[in-house]
Amino acid sequence: MKHLKLMLSIALLLLALTSVGAQDVTTVTMWFAEGATLDCWGPIMESFNDIDPSVQLEIVPQADTWNATRTAVVGGGGPDIVRTPGPSFVYEMAQAGLILPLDAFAEEMGWGEFFFDWALDLGLVDGELYSLSDELETLLLYYNVDVFEANGWTPPETMDELNALGEEVAAAGYTVFSHGNASWRPSNEWFVGEYMTQIAGPHNVYKALTGQIPWTDESMVEAMEILDAHMQAGWYGGGLDLYFTNEGPTRRAMLADGSAAMNIEGSWAIRDLTDYHSESGQGWDWVSVPSKTGADQFTIGMGNTSSINANSAHPEAAAQFLTWYFSPETQGAMLTSCLKGPAPVEISAEVMGELDPRIAKVYADLSDASANDRYGYTTWTFWPPKSDVYIYEEVERVWTGEITVMDYLEGLNEVFAAELEAGDIPPIPSR
Amino acid sequence: MAVLAQKKPTTIFEKLADETWRRKFLRNVLIPWLFIAPLLIIHIFVVAIPAVQGVYMSMTDWGGINPNVNFIGLENYHKLLFEDHSFGKSLNNNINWMLFFLTVPFILALFCATMLSQIKRGGMIYRSILFIPYVLASVVTTTIWKNLLNPKDGILATTARALGIEGFEVAFLGRTDTALISIAFIDNWHFWGFLMILFLASMQSIPPVLYDAAKIDGANRWEEFRHVTLPGIRPIVLFMFMMVAIWSFLAFDYIWLITQGGPGGASEVIATQLYKNAFQRFEAGYAAAQGVVISIFAGFIILVFVMLRRRGWDI
Repeated sequence: MKHLKLMLSIALLLLALTSVGAQDVTTVTMWFAEGATLDCWGPIMESFNDIDPSVQLEIVPQADTWNATRTAVVGGGGPDIVRTPGPSFVYEMAQAGLILPLDAFAEEMGWGEFFFDWALDLGLVDGELYSLSDELETLLLYYNVDVFEANGWTPPETMDELNALGEEVAAAGYTVFSHGNASWRPSNEWFVGEYMTQIAGPHNVYKALTGQIPWTDESMVEAMEILDAHMQAGWYGGGLDLYFTNEGPTRRAMLADGSAAMNIEGSWAIRDLTDYHSESGQGWDWVSVPSKTGADQFTIGMGNTSSINANSAHPEAAAQFLTWYFSPETQGAMLTSCLKGPAPVEISAEVMGELDPRIAKVYADLSDASANDRYGYTTWTFWPPKSDVYIYEEVERVWTGEITVMDYLEGLNEVFAAELEAGDIPPIPSR
Repeated sequence: MAVLAQKKPTTIFEKLADETWRRKFLRNVLIPWLFIAPLLIIHIFVVAIPAVQGVYMSMTDWGGINPNVNFIGLENYHKLLFEDHSFGKSLNNNINWMLFFLTVPFILALFCATMLSQIKRGGMIYRSILFIPYVLASVVTTTIWKNLLNPKDGILATTARALGIEGFEVAFLGRTDTALISIAFIDNWHFWGFLMILFLASMQSIPPVLYDAAKIDGANRWEEFRHVTLPGIRPIVLFMFMMVAIWSFLAFDYIWLITQGGPGGASEVIATQLYKNAFQRFEAGYAAAQGVVISIFAGFIILVFVMLRRRGWDI
């Protein structure tokens, strides 16, 4: 009996000590989709837990992360760190008071010191900071070096050169652009935004995004007509029907095995290109997507954003994690280890020096372009949600001949005008 | 005599005072309701209340995130029926989908069930083989068929190419004229085995004596099928007709997993459009209106069958 009492006392004491210990640790939760990305990012993000034992990050694997997060946050729950697919998704959440304004944290923790000036502005809603943008992206023209060398081709610098090269590539029996949207139908929008920026010009796109000119402006019509002509010529994927059928691995393999000469895709593709091309043994490189004027310009996009849940019991700890996560050191580590597109922060030259020069050049050129007014806009970052869906859904009707380019742009004008009037446009960095 | 003269309780107080009435009430009313109460409560919370909320939301401009909504009356329904041209196209695709599923799988299932019902030994093996696709997850089925139908590297195209047969290098899922029918074909590959098993089970409940009588009357196989088998399984066939018609308006997973409504809206149906409106365009109120319209279609189909039943149809 004596022993039993003693054991019970020890057990109670241990339980009490454990509870005290547990109360001292603040856990910041973050939901993340399971898969290769989490496998690489996870251990780096969890190294945050070694810094301060009293603040711990818990990554919760969650399928269909954005829809799950949105539903949970609207219902009064969800993780402390709210990740969205882009700035345009932040607006509604901020309006509904579901996420916290971050201005005080930004000032206290010095976020302005490491984020690019324009980058923090992307998270503004009605003048207050609600989100931090992550995964800087742009579209590039990748090409198969072996195919180009074997045929004596050089990468195009202007849209006219691209048109002439495309004819030559197709005549030589290659697929011009390895592509297909069967795995990700919204990939249609990559080309709409890119052709608008490179043909109509980033200044005209800016004017249209701010309501100064309509989407039916003749520069936009020209851009969409050139894109349609490329689609009708079967340059993408080897034919329109194949474009609608090819899966992601097929388009990677087409460029890697040399059956396609080029590919217009985001900087995220670099992760896969290194694998596919090392397997095929054929070289790859990239240039900026050719513009009408020959200017070396890049569209800028963000892969996702991070905010703090208004229901979070530990907003301070969440902000502490965000400060660490968005620091140039952490972003540099994730870039070198996982080839993660960095947040729009200044990464040190030392870190960039560790990268494959082709990859380092992407971010160096992008940084240079953003500083020198040579940047354009990706649809998924700067267009409001309804217009964005319209862009990638309805453009297929142009390519399948159901509607004309003008019908398409008139429709976009209508949808965009309603969102502009409602104030749903994400922040557009002024130029 | 005294019992006969006893007055029946009429008011609620008289009834409560009467023990016989109380016992009857307990046995015939209260206890059955108590048994069904847990299910009823769950149903009220997970079906009835959300359904009523859905109808209300269909009359608002709710975006799906911001809880502050504005009541806009029937504006969403007006937009759906008179302004949104893509809705008519989607509805047309749903009707084509329904016509496909009310014919092809029924014919296949009836034919195979009839054939299998004749097999005395080893029938279970055939049944199992034909039923296996039904238990496969839609993600698995669509992945298999997307690979099979790949015009470049798909097994069909490469095998046909190796054998020197032409005509299989077609991007069935990438063409506007073949996308919907190809998805229906894939969905049917998974579905028809289920129908066949239902029909087969129903056929086995037909008394053999009816077939013997038909044979004595000189009926051939077709006449046996027409005059004995078909009337014998008619209730299950008609019931499945109703269910398939309703399911046709809910078609979503196969289309979403294969084309997401593309190319160019060629395989868009109401449910895929609803999903896009709710979760991509942030027009949850409008999506709710589409959901209500789907429910009305389903209700109309049920009503037709209820009316047929009242007219004496054996459903």
